[in-house]
Parts: sequence; C-alpha cells; structure tokens
Amino acid sequence: MATKYGGYMGKVLKINLSSREVSEYPFSDEERELFIGGKTMAAKILGDHFKGTEEAFSEENMLVITTGPLTGSGAPSASRFNISTLSPQTGYITSSNCGGNFGYYLKKSGLDALILQGRSEKPIWIEIQNENIQFHDASDLWGMKTMEVQEALDDKLRLKNGRVRKNGKICIGPAGENQVLYSCIVSNERVFGRGGTGAVMGWMNLKAVCASGNKEIPVHDKEKMVRHTQKWFRYLRKHPLTGEQLPKLGTAGLVSSMQMKHILSTKNYSRGQYEDFEKVSGERLAEEFNIVNKGCLTCPIRCARTVEVDGKQVKGPELETLVLLGGGILNNDLESVLKWNYELDELGLDTISAANTLSYAMEANEKGLWDNGLKFSETEGISKIFEDIAYKRGIGAELALGSKRLSEKYGGKEFAIHAKGMELAAYEPRKAVGLGLGYAVSNRGGCHLNGGYMVILEGLGLSMDQTTYHGKADMTMMFQDLMEMISASGQCLFTSYAFFPSPLMRHPNSWYTKLVNKVLPYCGGVVRILNKYPEIAALHLPVFHHTKGFEYVTGMRMTFGHYMRCGERGYNLEREVNRRFGVNANKDALPKRLVQIVQDPKDPTSKVPLEKLKKVYYHARGWDSDGLPTKKLLKKLKISG
Amino acid sequence: MKTMVRVKIFGVMRLKSGVSSFETEAGSVNELLNCIPGIERKEAKNLVVIVNDRPAGRYCKLKDGDEVVLLSPAGGG
Repeated sequence: MATKYGGYMGKVLKINLSSREVSEYPFSDEERELFIGGKTMAAKILGDHFKGTEEAFSEENMLVITTGPLTGSGAPSASRFNISTLSPQTGYITSSNCGGNFGYYLKKSGLDALILQGRSEKPIWIEIQNENIQFHDASDLWGMKTMEVQEALDDKLRLKNGRVRKNGKICIGPAGENQVLYSCIVSNERVFGRGGTGAVMGWMNLKAVCASGNKEIPVHDKEKMVRHTQKWFRYLRKHPLTGEQLPKLGTAGLVSSMQMKHILSTKNYSRGQYEDFEKVSGERLAEEFNIVNKGCLTCPIRCARTVEVDGKQVKGPELETLVLLGGGILNNDLESVLKWNYELDELGLDTISAANTLSYAMEANEKGLWDNGLKFSETEGISKIFEDIAYKRGIGAELALGSKRLSEKYGGKEFAIHAKGMELAAYEPRKAVGLGLGYAVSNRGGCHLNGGYMVILEGLGLSMDQTTYHGKADMTMMFQDLMEMISASGQCLFTSYAFFPSPLMRHPNSWYTKLVNKVLPYCGGVVRILNKYPEIAALHLPVFHHTKGFEYVTGMRMTFGHYMRCGERGYNLEREVNRRFGVNANKDALPKRLVQIVQDPKDPTSKVPLEKLKKVYYHARGWDSDGLPTKKLLKKLKISG
Repeated sequence: MKTMVRVKIFGVMRLKSGVSSFETEAGSVNELLNCIPGIERKEAKNLVVIVNDRPAGRYCKLKDGDEVVLLSPAGGG
C-alpha cells in the first residue's frame, strides 16, 4: 500500500512463522497521520488484534517491529526502531526501543514494519532483502551468544567478492531461546532491553532477522530538511546535555549527581546514597576505562562507551547497569560491572531486571526468607549466576522468574522493586517523587522513560522541590506524551533534552534558574491547560526542532500542539490495550518500601505520595477514577470511532 | 583565620580541571570558587556546591574539615 507521505516506505509485512505465509498488512495514510510509527503504530496494530485473552507465549501473540518516519531520514539520532509485543514479564503490551541499525536497513529493504506471529517448528532465521522474505534453518546458530550469532550471520551474507552485504540484524541469545521472562533482543551492540521481547522471539523459534536492501528512503522536502538538519545538529552539539554531558561522560555521568540528590538506588533501593559511589562512577569510567565514544547512525551525541573486557573492545555499561550492579548490590568493583554488562548482553538478558532480581534475592537471603547463598557485597560467582539464569539451571531457574514472581513465592513483596512485574530503573524515587508516579503508571511497567523522566526536573537538570507532589502529575503527562511522539517518530529520546533551554542548564546558580525551580511546582495549572488544549500551541518552538523536521521529512503538518496530541494518543492507546488485559488503578502500584517507608527518617516527605499523585494524574489525563481512559476521551483522540 | 576544606569535583568540569579532589584554605564558598585548579571563576560560578551533603550558596561560610562537593551543571540519562 503506497503512501503520499515522505519518510515512509509504504509497506508493512506480516509473517506467520507457523505456516510461513507472508502477506501485506494494510496500513493507510489516515492511520499514519494518527498513529505515526514506532511504538504508536505498533500499539495500533496490536490493539486491532488483541482482545485481552491472549497470552505472551501463544500463537495469538505478535512481535511487531516498527520504524518511525524519521528513522534513516538523516535527522539527528534517528536510527531508532521499536519492538512491541504482549510481554511475558508484565502481561501487558510492552514497547522496547533500540538504536542499532536494523530499523534503517528494514526501511532500505522497503518496509516500515514487520509483524511476526506464530511459531516455527524448528529454529529459523529470516532474511529480508528488498521486500523478499527467505526462511533459513537456524539449527547451527541455536545456542550461540549474541555477538557470535551476528558474526555467523555476516558470514552467511558474504558476497562472492568476499565482502559482507550491508545489513542490519536483530537476534536473541541463550536467554531468549530459553524464554527467560526478562530476555532481550540485540542489534549490533544495542539492545531492546525491557519487557522480555527476547523470550517471545525465542518462543517463536526465531533466532534472528537480517534486513538489507537498496531502496531510497523518501524525504518530502530534501533541500529544507538538509538545511534544518545542519541547524539541528549544531544546536544539539552546543547544548550542555547533548553536546557536553552525554558525549563526555555518557549516561554513567549521572551517578555522582544522583548520589548528591539522594536518588542513587543502593542496596536494593533501601537507600539513596552509596558510600563507595566514586569507585563505580561515570567519571572513573571515562578516566580509566573508556577507550572511545560510539554513537548510533546519524547521532551527534555519541553517548555509548567502549571498554576492554577479556582483551576485546566491547560496549561499556549504561547508567542503569552501573548503578544497579554497583551500589544496588553494594559492589564497588567497576571492572566486574564492565564484565557482567558484556556477559549479560551476550546472553541476551535485560541488565536492569537481572540486577534487580539479584538484589531482591540477596535481601531475601539476608532477611532469612530464602536461603539462596547470595549476599550483598559478595560478587564472586555472579557471572555463573547470570549464565544459570540464561540457561535456567539450578538457582538460575528461579532467578529467571524475576523479583515479582519470586516475592510471591518467598515473601518480601515490600522490597521486590517492580511496577507491573517489571523491575525499576536506577533512580530511587523517594527523593524524586514525580518519577515515582511515572514508574507506577508507565504502560510498560517500571520504566523511567515511559514514566516521563520527571527526574530531569527533580535534580538532574533543574532542581525543582524533589519531594513535593505539586505540579508533578501534569508535568509527568506532558513529558510522557512528548517522549511518546519522539519515539514514534523514530528518534532517540535524548534529543528531547534540547527542549530545556541551554541557559537554564548552564547557569544553575543564576536568578532565573532559581526562579524557574521555585515556580515549577505551581505550574501544574498552566501545564494542565496545555495538556488539555495542545492545539493552542499551533507553532514551532525554537528550542524544539522535531516538529519542523517531521514536516520536512513527511510533508504532514505538525505544529508543537499537534505533536503533543499525537503523543497523547499513543499513550492512551497503549493504556486502552492494556485495559483489556486488566490494567487499572490498582495495578499502578509501587512496593511498600517506596510508598510507606521514608528514605530519610528526618524527612517525613521522603516517600512517594503515590495515591495523591495518581489522583491528580488520572484527572489530568481525563481518565476515570479507576485510571482508565473514558469512551469520550478515546473518541476525542480518534482511538475508537 | 582561614579554614582547611576538602573539595571533590564531579562531572564534565572534573575532566576539564584534571583534578578529582584537593584540599585548600577557604573561609567561604565564594573564596573557594577562586581557587579551583584549571577552572576560571567565571565558569566556577556555575558549579553546584554541596557542603557536608547539603546544598550551599555562594556566601555559605566554611568550617575547618568541611567536605565540599562541586557538581558540574548536569542532567540527562
């Protein structure tokens, strides 16, 4: 089905792995206008299919791989692509986003999205070349770790002249093959970490997908887009977050800020500070271990680190892994974190869920609930534990269940740190309560990004009152919608940082930054009006290049207000699909440790006032008291007729 | 009489300074901002200052043995 819009290849393919039937999936221009691409397009496809009775490991589930219109368009940090499915970990739909090169090559092969359903009788891998699909036996690849399998696939794609055909890949490791609930999908060194997408791919008996092709990705107004892109690149390079902080220290650079703000998750989120944080900090990583910065396709930020493990140059840890496998388990040995990070990627395990499950198990052992031999600070044998999780051997078979299920078995629900069954990211939310709300209501489960990343206002960019609930629900909604749309477009969420004017970031001690920090909690009403009537912002903001870029690539009209409305539609659509699987206000929960026990005994506000925040948030979203979108809202957003 | 304080620098300013920690004599944060290795006062004014685990302003007095943390204007992750 062709399209009149630029940025799209105009074709979505559906592959049934049981029957090996390949068919075109209709996706109209009207749907593109409403559901854009990426996670929102995937939610539309899943929403049209799911009734709420499906299970993650079943013929009815689908793995939907989507690109956005800006993926591969030349826009900054626009290599992102998305995988959505019914998560075996949460029981709701999950969306996972990655910066590898598969999305770009999927579009070069002529496709905007790929829908996989069913289960192959034997392990296979799929080759896509210029829309043509070939199924290959993967019995020789089954069992391989993620880097090894990608090298083996390159060998299979070698041309007669000895060169490897340019291609993008996604693959799973042993964890996905064994359907570990928090296994991931890997593309190059980048990872779809969250939600257990790898387990679904493993259940399908699908080891890998390779895409290649030579189709041109159309851009509506090339000349204007080139000029705009140059300006956009310059802006990102000059911004203190995207031009200095992230390139120089990577995401790991936040460890020290988090320590100072008491939001560094330590000893299974029992504290917000780690006395040995300097030994496992971004500064130490940059000074002693980082060999070179790496970036995804067309990315000026280049936040990825490269380190040496066992004589090989491999991807360094992101902030989440560094914190949760550092202070999270009271481990101050940075080299061990580098090694485990690499091993977890190789096995195809989500580092966040693996680390949090480990820290839950350590605390359960410490409290005498589960005699498992795991102790905080004792890190010998952890590599073996991770292997055992991936292969579901011994204690690993239990740890493969994740902290929610383990706490149901052994007790300790109050310190099983998850939301909707997915473990939280590395920010301790009792001193960043807006992020606490985000974790709880996130469609994906305990995710900081899908949760709106309020922590950037609560201490990591600006310094709004960390524990007040004022203004935070409305701002959470705004940032969730904004990031939803950036993701749907095919861009990295880090480009959203440029939304915060540079002077505020550069001059935290200036009168104007202090004023903004003081005033922010009282801005809920203004933000509520903008959230409710985004159309009043019928303009392009000078600090937000995304809207003009979107227009130049696609040819669709896209003001800031319209952009926000599309994000709101995407967020509500996922919530509506999750409603069918039983989501409601009771499921938007955090463990007792975070909502009932104060982090600082001298500060009674240092816990997440979740019920208060949820009430305001549901009202802001126009949801009913059970936290569900009303029929009127769904109609207004054109989610239902 | 001036007081001896222990100072640690974090973030991109630490990479610029090339020094992760140092000891110096300074009676106030304002004085301290004049003596950060490799960082001019103009830039030092933008550092977030934390004294003994509490945020501190430029005119905060320092006592002997205080632990001062200088954080670069940071964010994102």
